[in-house]
Amino acid sequence: MHTLNRRQLLALGAVLLTPAVRVLAIDNSNTSPLYVSAATTNENTYFLMGFRHDGGRMQPVFKLQLPERGHHIAINAQRGFLVSVARRPGTSLVLVDLATGQLIRELQVPADRHLYGHGVFSNDGSLFYTTENAFDDTTESSGRLVVWAVQGAGSELTLQRLQEFPSGGIGPHELILMPDGNTLAIANGGIRTHPSHDRDILNLDSMRPSLAYVDRHSGKLLEQRFLPEQFHQSSIRHLDVNTDGAVVLGMQFEGDAFTNAPLVATHARGQQLQLLMAPEEIQSQLKQYVGAIRFDTSGRYAAASCPRGNQLTIWDTHTGTLLKVVRARDNCGVQATDKGFVFSSGVGKLAELDLATGEISEFEGAEKLALLWDNHLVVADTGNSA
Amino acid sequence: MFRHAPLLLLTWLFSPALLAQNQQWKEVNLAITDGVIVPAYERFALATVPLTTDAAGFCAAVTQDNLAKLQQDFQQAMDGWQGVQHIQFGPITYFNWNYRLQFWPDDNNAGTRQMDTLLAAADPAVLAPAAFAQQSVGVQGFQALERLLFSNDSLAALQKTPFRCQLVQAIAHNLGDISTGLAKRWHDEFRTTVANADQRGGYFENSRDVTLDYLKAVVESVRRIQRQKLEAVLADSQAAAHERKAESWRSDRSVRNLRVNVAAFAALFSQSKPALSSVLPAADIPAITAAFDKVEKSLAAAPDSMTTALKSPQGYAALKQSRDDINALYEALEVAVKHTDLYLGFNSLDGD
Repeated sequence: MHTLNRRQLLALGAVLLTPAVRVLAIDNSNTSPLYVSAATTNENTYFLMGFRHDGGRMQPVFKLQLPERGHHIAINAQRGFLVSVARRPGTSLVLVDLATGQLIRELQVPADRHLYGHGVFSNDGSLFYTTENAFDDTTESSGRLVVWAVQGAGSELTLQRLQEFPSGGIGPHELILMPDGNTLAIANGGIRTHPSHDRDILNLDSMRPSLAYVDRHSGKLLEQRFLPEQFHQSSIRHLDVNTDGAVVLGMQFEGDAFTNAPLVATHARGQQLQLLMAPEEIQSQLKQYVGAIRFDTSGRYAAASCPRGNQLTIWDTHTGTLLKVVRARDNCGVQATDKGFVFSSGVGKLAELDLATGEISEFEGAEKLALLWDNHLVVADTGNSA
Repeated sequence: MFRHAPLLLLTWLFSPALLAQNQQWKEVNLAITDGVIVPAYERFALATVPLTTDAAGFCAAVTQDNLAKLQQDFQQAMDGWQGVQHIQFGPITYFNWNYRLQFWPDDNNAGTRQMDTLLAAADPAVLAPAAFAQQSVGVQGFQALERLLFSNDSLAALQKTPFRCQLVQAIAHNLGDISTGLAKRWHDEFRTTVANADQRGGYFENSRDVTLDYLKAVVESVRRIQRQKLEAVLADSQAAAHERKAESWRSDRSVRNLRVNVAAFAALFSQSKPALSSVLPAADIPAITAAFDKVEKSLAAAPDSMTTALKSPQGYAALKQSRDDINALYEALEVAVKHTDLYLGFNSLDGD
């Protein structure tokens, strides 16, 4: 694909020198969902962890050491594998066999690109899309939407980098496939960074985040929405979409700490962004930061995790109001379940919120793993009974 | 005690073992709350009384002596604030109280811009308490008051511009209101919130969650003062030092702030019975205690004036020594925390 640079060689070395995969248990008779999340330990080693949860019991399925810190995981059910996407400014894509929990391969992006931790597959599973930073491009369109082809099978399975399009802005983060199967919604966070400056924000005063809709076949920018000028430092990072095509956005405000800035918004194609605010006494406790956002299975309620504020917030997107706040220390990963939401935390907890009753049930055995769950939690399969 | 007990992961609500464990966390929390935190907030509220009282009559006689008295009052009130500045949960998060008390660090110099705008408009209506509470945070707190009281031309400016004097009164009143409000909320409400932390659906997940907030208040604040209050000022060399990045460069009490901070951290860590230190391995406590002692000694040995210290190699070296000692304290705390199953946070330190 390309010559590895020093940074990438070091990353690759980390994989080669460590026992990359530890398959803990593969139990295909399990009827409970398979969850996957990036995680770390108190010693700052990074892992990808797969587990099931059944009858109040955690069942670890696989645990792989990652070459660098992971972020989101994209699932390709058709081809039976997942891709763990490195957190910015990481450069690795780690492909894992869903049936065996074994590492298939690790890929690197070109030396003048880095990832933003997110990727998504096309509905047929044949194409994969990542958001990337062309960090030496100093224009307002340094964000890239990169198209990869899924090739081969089994141990030969790989991703072939095909082409790239502008993402519609700077600092693209999460991208999601709209229900039409052809349009990608991209959260352009608006933040310019460069690997030579670590994760420093280089354009705080001129940030212009946007929500962009891009045709995944042609790269054509179909629609783009910006925040009001007063909130131009609200970096749009995370997205979800329901079956009606309504999009919900999670933001992180980079301006003054005392500003009462919106952290959640909704959008329907052709309309303006709708900014949602919690009551002031709650909004001020969210510390201007949403780490992940997901619709529930009904597509009406959305959970936005606020790890800095130690809260999981539940929003009614029909009325635009805050429905519920759950205290959850360092909570970030969130995923819809039949009952409501399962959420994970950077202090090692996993729990499920029952939306109907408000009950929270913790996953027994989660903390025994001594893993701190990273930004996102996904469901790789819903179990054999589903 | 329960410092090495493995977490019991039975359904917590019905687990007698976990209930007992929660009771132990609760004991520590209430000892800290009653013995350290509520008294510290009460001291802060009391420390602002002379400031609000003296400021109320100040504009009738803007003299050098009265300004000196107000400056002294400011020091006392600031001591009170520095003694609770590390508590970043609970009532301090209400009503933007945190930022209204002190908007710092202010990398974009927004406070100066906001105050210049307010002074130029000179509208007395905005100084009424309810209206003033809605003004920019940059004009409401200690940093704004310090500028009005400790600039080179403060006396002349206050004598010449009555609005400036009225602004001093408004800020002093505001500080008094907030410090009183904090003490009252902790005493009347939040102490109960801490006591009831194990009730489901409350402010905290459980009593352990409260203890983690107290532990964070020590560990993360040690790191914070190292980075914000010393490293930002010291830069890479004496020649490159940024005096005006010091927290209180106008009143030149930045070293005093550090001394008060560290004394407050030490009190929170070890003063109560049982103490917060009891949640960490006993084997790690001597190293932490020694590290606290070393920081306190090196700060005591540092020049009182950071401004003066930065002008001499010896003074700069003394501050650098304090920085190194604070870093060593952080590392000692970090080692101890890593020997437990207590995690202070991961995603909350993130930026993605």
